Amino acid sequence: MRPRKSIAKHAGPAGLGAVALCATAALAVAGCGSGAPTSSSSGSAAPASLTVWRMGASTPAQVTWMNGVVSQFHKAYPGYAKTAVKVVYVPWTTATTEYTNALSSGKNAPDVTEIGNTETPTNASLGMLANITSEVNGWSNKSDIVPGMLANDTQNGSIYGVPWFGGVRGIWYRTDEFKAAGITSTPTTWAELTSDAKKLQQKYPGTYGLGAPSDYTNAIVSFVWGAGGQVAVQKNGKWTAELNSPQSEAGLKFYADLYLTNKVSPSKYIGQTELGNPGATSGGTNEDFALGKLDMYIDGPWAEPELEQVSAKYKSDWASFPIPSQNGPSPAPAFAGGSDLAVWVSSKYKTADWDLIKEMDSTSNATSFANLQGFFPAFTSQLSGGAYGGSQVMSGFAKAATVTQISPLNAKNWATADTTDQIIPTMMKSLMQGANFTATVNSANTQLENVLNTGSKS
Amino acid sequence: MAETVESPGRRRLSPPAVGARPDQRNRPGLLARAGRRRAASAPGANRPGQARAGAFIRRHRLGPYLLLLPSLIGIGLILAWPTIQVGILSFQNFGLGQLSGAAPTQWVGFSNFTNILHDPEFWLALRNTVVFAAAVVVLTLLIGTLVGLLLHHLGRRMATFVSSATLLAWATPVVSASVVFYWLFSPDGGIVDWSLSKLPGWLGGGAHWAAFNWTTSGALPAYTVLTFIVVWMGFPFIAVTVLAGLKTIPAELIEAARVDGASPWRSFWGITYPLMKPIFLVLLLLSIIWDFGVFTQTYLITGELGNRDEYNLSLYAYDKAFTLPPSYGLGAALALILTVILLITTVGYVRASVRQGAIS
Repeated sequence: MRPRKSIAKHAGPAGLGAVALCATAALAVAGCGSGAPTSSSSGSAAPASLTVWRMGASTPAQVTWMNGVVSQFHKAYPGYAKTAVKVVYVPWTTATTEYTNALSSGKNAPDVTEIGNTETPTNASLGMLANITSEVNGWSNKSDIVPGMLANDTQNGSIYGVPWFGGVRGIWYRTDEFKAAGITSTPTTWAELTSDAKKLQQKYPGTYGLGAPSDYTNAIVSFVWGAGGQVAVQKNGKWTAELNSPQSEAGLKFYADLYLTNKVSPSKYIGQTELGNPGATSGGTNEDFALGKLDMYIDGPWAEPELEQVSAKYKSDWASFPIPSQNGPSPAPAFAGGSDLAVWVSSKYKTADWDLIKEMDSTSNATSFANLQGFFPAFTSQLSGGAYGGSQVMSGFAKAATVTQISPLNAKNWATADTTDQIIPTMMKSLMQGANFTATVNSANTQLENVLNTGSKS
Repeated sequence: MAETVESPGRRRLSPPAVGARPDQRNRPGLLARAGRRRAASAPGANRPGQARAGAFIRRHRLGPYLLLLPSLIGIGLILAWPTIQVGILSFQNFGLGQLSGAAPTQWVGFSNFTNILHDPEFWLALRNTVVFAAAVVVLTLLIGTLVGLLLHHLGRRMATFVSSATLLAWATPVVSASVVFYWLFSPDGGIVDWSLSKLPGWLGGGAHWAAFNWTTSGALPAYTVLTFIVVWMGFPFIAVTVLAGLKTIPAELIEAARVDGASPWRSFWGITYPLMKPIFLVLLLLSIIWDFGVFTQTYLITGELGNRDEYNLSLYAYDKAFTLPPSYGLGAALALILTVILLITTVGYVRASVRQGAIS
């Protein structure tokens, strides 16, 4: 539900023991894992039950939606009428641990799983996901998928998942504050963005204009892209990191300067994610925005239920606009986060799995599900209809969704770069703490290039 | 005067305080007695085969080893074998792909080790670990000893009250303690930031403390919080152990010293400390080992794995070994490096103390 968490940084310690034991015992007992994945091409027999892993917390609306899908599934495929569908809600924060445990122990694995789209390439290369190329090729919805989203799920010509929903970040603001501060239109350049942030800060003493947490790769990249830079580009199979190009540096400097020189972001966000201290689900920019202590903050539309939970006091004034590019007028490209649906590699019922996925990802079901949680469906036919223009909150995000990018956040080694080594958050934290700009960016750039190419920093 | 106070203590009293020699004297006797009893009561003792085996065991003095065997097997299974496995893994590229069979396992020589030793973050984590351990070991031992002495001097009721209060700190689950301190130091309404912001400037307070983020603003503030937690949870054990040691020191010795006009300071260093040196040594070793590998508190306070400038070696190893994509080979290499560092530290102390004759 939270694409930021789809680059799940914060694998909890829950599964540590099991993994550790398994790692050390692996050689002794001929492998903890399933060894060679057992493939079953028959799949004609109806399974007694299918396990579906969903990410995030279960909400009543989601449960209702899923029950509806299951009953459609039973109706559409009478052969599965007696197949129970078991849904397990896995928190984003422990998803990677759960995946690792399921793969390494070969136990308690799902049949069908939702998976953060930035994780799909890594997990496919680790052997977690089944190859569903022929199934997808025969799928009627394939041609309607937003271009590029399926490419993210493809490796060496094989498809390992299908897009389910997507989301982009934009900037949350309050219409009442903008009006009171005399801001008549939402900013479309960086200069306007900072001057508006300062105006708001002046109008509302004690608040900060625009939150800039340092541990926020998925927003920081928008500023790199918004100045015309790239994080890294791939040519002939080799990655070249470009964090130290003049354009990228302009973006990084702008973001760091939100705290350093413009002082529109407080020091406590250094080292934090948009949700507060790493590992927390509140206490950061999200909570401060809902409480009226922060005037603008960067997040996706999916944050709304949590904001409401903190405080619905200013709810009627909440609105959004896309992250501006350096010189406008079109917005900065936004990171296209979201979730895919995939079949687990060792599932015994691949045919049934795929039939269930088709039901969950049908045009109407995927659209209703995306709308339910503040996301956009992955189908062009649904996005171009102008269905989101009428909502104050969604219209800005819908505009942002028209200019998106995902590379290199879907590179095979991106998880190592961002989850294990945290190159961009660490660099941004150092910059905000006053480290030498050129040296810090250059060293991060070298590390990033090494990791993207070899999986190791040095 | 120092002579008259120290020498009798050393000669006559340190053996019972150490507690090793009487034990040693008893052990052969106990075993022999046990052997005899078994031989007499065993129903098949008159069978020649068993008698011969018994004789063989006695002649070669195998009894103690046989008794040790079950625990040796246990240790071999749960300690030695995994250690060997870790050793093997540290020379391989072993990760999740290798575990699932998606990629081949390869021998990579020393590259896991060179990778780690060339990573500046490893050295940063090592520095954090060593400085933090040094500070915490000194503080826990110091505070623990002082509280132990206090408990020794308090009346029965007050001692019970103080010791239960300190033991509560020790018994608090690590996660609860970390969360409590996390709240105390929270930038959003934590009492520490609030108090500091209300303090006058000449006391180091001021408005800049409001919303100061202790746990993410670098190693110094984060480890300040961690020092509070770990010392708070660690000193009661030291205090209770020191108290137990103090109870073994005959009151006459201290009294004699007092009669001779020794200050409490002088009698501590002249009597108490030499007699309790073995206890302090064990406490020191345990504290070093514990405080070198503090994981749970560090993980929770520094924001799981989100702030790399605040890593200690445990977090660094966990990050390398277990975050996706996991690299068990790298983690194993790190575990070996950590073990070697700890061995160097502890072996040094043990050798020094053996030479001093503190451990016989």
